[in-house]
Amino acid sequence: MSDVELTATEAARWALRAGLPLESERHAEVAATANHIHAVVRTLRELDFGETPPATHTVEAEATDGSL
Amino acid sequence: MALFELTLAEAADAVAQGELSPVELTGSVLERLDAVEERLGAYVAVASEAARESAALAEREIAAGRYRGPLHGIPFGLKDLIDVAGLPTTASSRVRAGHVAPADSAVARRLFDAGAVLLGKTHTHEFAYGLTTPQTRNAWDQGRIAGGSSGGSAVAVAAGAATFALGTDTGGSIRVPAALNGVVGLKPTYDLLSRHGVTSLSWSLDHVGPLTRTVRDAALVLSALTGHGSKDPVGPGAARPGCPPPGEGSLTGLRIGVPVNYYFDRVSPAVETAVRGALAQLSDLGAELVEVEIPMARYVQATQWGLMVPEATAYHERALRSVPELYAPDVRVLLEAGELLSAGDYLRAQRARTLMRQAWGRVLEQVDVIAAPTVPMTAAEVGQDTVEWPDGTTESVSDAYVRLSAPANITGIPALTLPVGRDHAGLPIGMQLMGPPMGEALVLRAGRAYEAVQDGHGGLAPVAA
Repeated sequence: MSDVELTATEAARWALRAGLPLESERHAEVAATANHIHAVVRTLRELDFGETPPATHTVEAEATDGSL
Repeated sequence: MALFELTLAEAADAVAQGELSPVELTGSVLERLDAVEERLGAYVAVASEAARESAALAEREIAAGRYRGPLHGIPFGLKDLIDVAGLPTTASSRVRAGHVAPADSAVARRLFDAGAVLLGKTHTHEFAYGLTTPQTRNAWDQGRIAGGSSGGSAVAVAAGAATFALGTDTGGSIRVPAALNGVVGLKPTYDLLSRHGVTSLSWSLDHVGPLTRTVRDAALVLSALTGHGSKDPVGPGAARPGCPPPGEGSLTGLRIGVPVNYYFDRVSPAVETAVRGALAQLSDLGAELVEVEIPMARYVQATQWGLMVPEATAYHERALRSVPELYAPDVRVLLEAGELLSAGDYLRAQRARTLMRQAWGRVLEQVDVIAAPTVPMTAAEVGQDTVEWPDGTTESVSDAYVRLSAPANITGIPALTLPVGRDHAGLPIGMQLMGPPMGEALVLRAGRAYEAVQDGHGGLAPVAA
């Protein structure tokens, strides 16, 4: 996503592309929330990661319900 | 003193000596629960009859010489993200209607093997995705929020409606409600305790841990959850150190890091005064206070959100498409917005986490423990959305509550919160002690030493019956 804020229509289109159709009355609220989250996480672009790999975490040996 | 007022350690000692009946203890806690629950809303469901039967079984076992240890016959509450076979795990959500857990979670099984008595399931902010737990009220002031997401567990313990409880902590969800309700909360090292059978919010940030009225009690519960003897495995990979009782008295030789940035920025005067007072007491006990710079403070929120939001949305992917209307509005919009983050956003957060772990590791080579406020303010009023700071900035209550607790989730280090005072309105204030990975004994030692010199530690919130 670019640094330009998503419009309500764009948010709906992005969500649909992810397989999540949004009712029209939700477009603006989801766009506003997404823009707020993006404004926060965008800060990480300031970091020079060099060759730093992503952190990993241990996965439980027991099989668990992965999603609802 | 009524039996429900006993701390876990006090009750355990009396049970072990044959001076306290688990049936009478459980009965007293259930009566207390009944007396305060309508005002506090700590529980999703209470299993009174099953609890009385478990207590009776414990009593028979102990009388027959089969004493299992300090949790035997002790009544507790479980956050309703944690499975117990045959009981619903609602996650305080309509999405989970009709769901019944097929098996015990690993942590519940540990507690049952230790002979503990389940009272019921406690409320969480829906799926742990929030910091208020709206169904529950603060134990000290019912016009205030309980904090979240383990609000039900914290309030139950604070009010004497459970002798201890378990919660989960993804960005502070054990420590925040513990601090706001004047109890002790421990987020152990990441992966020390199994998350098997625990509903996830964010796989790489979630932790399970105890809420108790004293540090000593937290050590007892942790020992039961990590010790040997259960048939159920705990998480793989990490060593299982158990948890020796922390030493009391002198802290000579212990180096306590006092942050010069981040942790004391934008905190209420009452919180700063109380925590600095506790630091002075730790110094009086022999600890050396060492100023430390908190690394990467500017990137805490971005890293936390960059990890949590995509992971939460991924977990809820199917239900969000099939029954979105069943989610609470605040949770639904976060999950939907999470669909709009990119893989790049998530990977940047994971790489930032690597850098943060390395940087915090260097700080924790200089000191044994870092001490700081748990939450920058006391419990907000119900319905309060924002807080104004003396520097003129404003912040959402939810952002403020998680700001100081999230680094321990990102780095996976153990963090203990304990009560260190109250504000002008009598609301509790918490201080957190953070140590190196697997450094539970260090933070418990420091917390126990502080607690041991306090008058009236482990006291209940003043909720009238």
